[in-house]
Amino acid sequence: MATTNIGPKNPAVKAGEAALDYVDQRTGVTTGAKWFLFRNIPAETSWFQTLGFTAMALFGMQAITGIILAMYYKPDPNSAYQSIDTITNDVTWGFLVRGMHKWGASAMIVIVFLHMGRVFFFGSYKYPRELTWVTGAILLIMTMFMGLTGYLLVWDQKAYWATVVAVNITASAPIIGPYIADILRAGPEFGPQTLSRFYSIHMLVIPGGMATFIGLHMFLVAKLGIAEPPYSKRRMAVERSEEEARRAAENERLPYGRREVPASTPQPVKAEGRS
Amino acid sequence: MAESQGDGTAGGTRGGQYSGPAAHAPEPVHDHHDDPAFITRTKFLTGVAVVTGGVMTAAILVPVVGFAAADALKEEPWQWVDCGPLSDFPDGKTTSIAVSGPYPESDRRAFVRNGDGALTAIWNRCAHLGCPVSYSAGSDAYACPCHGGAYDSSGRVVGGPPPRPLDRFDIKLVTAAGKDIARQESPAAGCSTSGAPADARVLIGRPFSVDKDLKPYALHGPGESVTGVLSHLYPF
Repeated sequence: MATTNIGPKNPAVKAGEAALDYVDQRTGVTTGAKWFLFRNIPAETSWFQTLGFTAMALFGMQAITGIILAMYYKPDPNSAYQSIDTITNDVTWGFLVRGMHKWGASAMIVIVFLHMGRVFFFGSYKYPRELTWVTGAILLIMTMFMGLTGYLLVWDQKAYWATVVAVNITASAPIIGPYIADILRAGPEFGPQTLSRFYSIHMLVIPGGMATFIGLHMFLVAKLGIAEPPYSKRRMAVERSEEEARRAAENERLPYGRREVPASTPQPVKAEGRS
Repeated sequence: MAESQGDGTAGGTRGGQYSGPAAHAPEPVHDHHDDPAFITRTKFLTGVAVVTGGVMTAAILVPVVGFAAADALKEEPWQWVDCGPLSDFPDGKTTSIAVSGPYPESDRRAFVRNGDGALTAIWNRCAHLGCPVSYSAGSDAYACPCHGGAYDSSGRVVGGPPPRPLDRFDIKLVTAAGKDIARQESPAAGCSTSGAPADARVLIGRPFSVDKDLKPYALHGPGESVTGVLSHLYPF
C-alpha cells in the first residue's frame, strides 16, 4: 500500500477506511473475511465447483421469498388455499414471488443433487473432507423435508393426498415409523393441527437447522480448501510418479511397500547420555 | 538452571555446556494438581457448569418435546355413530356415507353394503398408502386413484400394490330406543338384517383390519401387512 501513496486521500475514502479500521480492530472481521474469501484453490477449479454456491444462493432466495409469502399466507384449513389464491391473483407481483419460491424449490432439489454428484464423481468427499460430506448429507435430508412440508401448505387436493401418501410412506418404516408419522401429522389423521405443524416446521424448524449446517459446511469448505479434481495435471503427475516408483520397485524384485529401510539418520544425544 | 531442575539430574544442562555439580538440588515438590483424583477448583467449577447447563437444557427440551409429540401419539377415540335407518341401505346395493371423522378434508367414508341378508361397512382408506378408494357400482369393485390398487366387492385385493384387503368398520343394528338387534359376528358374515324392521338404526363403530380370508385383526396403518413376515415390522 505504501508504494501507491501518491498524496492526500479523498476525505470520503478516509472516513470509510477509518470506519472499517474501527470495526476491524474490535472484531477482526477483515481478517476473517480474507481467510474465508481469498483462499488458494486448485488450478483446474471450474464451473463444476460453483454448484454448491448455487444451492446456497437458492436457499437465500427461498428464505427471502418465503419470509414475504408468510406475510400473506394463513396456515388454517379454511383460509390456506384462499390466501394462496389471493397471493397469486390479487397481490402485486404475488404471482412472481410465489413462482420464485415454487420454482426455486424445484431448482434447489435439482442443484443439490447435481452438487452431490459433482462431489461424488470428483472424489471430493475423501479424506480429510468426510465431515463436509456428512454435513452436506444432513443438508440434503433437510432440503427434502422442506420440499415435503412446503408441498402441503397449498392445501389443495393434490397437496393433501400427496402428503398423506408421503407420511404413510414414513409410517411404513419398521418399528418407529408409525410414531414418526403420528408426530408429523399431529395425530392419526390430517387436519388443522397438521397444517400449522407443517407450516412451523417449514418456516422455523428446518430453516434454522439448514442455516446452522450451511454455516458448518462453509466453514469446513474454507478450512479444508477445495479438493483437486481427478483430472488435475498436478494430481496426475503425482499418480504417474507413484506408478513409476511402483514399477521401479517391481523391477528391483522387491515387494512393493517393503523396500529396504534406509540407514537411519543420527539422533541428537540426550543430556543424560553425556558425562 | 530451570531446565536442569525439570529432569532432576544433578549437574547436567541441556546444551551440555556445564557438567559440574548443581548449585541447588531442588526438593521433590508434591503438587495436588498433578494427582488426577484430586478435585481442583477448576475441575469442580467445570463440573458445576456442565451439570447446571444440562439441567437447564433438559428443563427446556423435555416440556417442549412432550408438548410437540405427546398428544400426537394418542389413539383416536372411536364411538358408535348413527348412520340412519336400515331403509336408507337398500338390499343388494352398496351405499357410500360420510363417517364423522375428525376433519372434513380427510374425506373419510364408509361403503355400507346390504347384500345376502347382511350389512358390512368398508372403510374407503386404501390399504396401500391411505388414498380414498372409490366404489364402482357397475363392476362392483373398489379402485384407488393414487397407485392403482384394485379390490373386489368384499375389499380383497385383486390388483396393484396394497398389502392387505380394505379395512372394515364394526357395524350393528339397534332399535330406535337403542337396544341391539344384531351385531357383526364375523367380517365375512357381516351384520344380519333378517327380521330387522325398516326403521332399525344402522350404527358404525371402531374400524379393524382383515386378512385375505376376512379374519379380523387390530386396525393397522396403510401399507402394513397383517399376515406373513412383514407383519412383525411394527411390534408396538
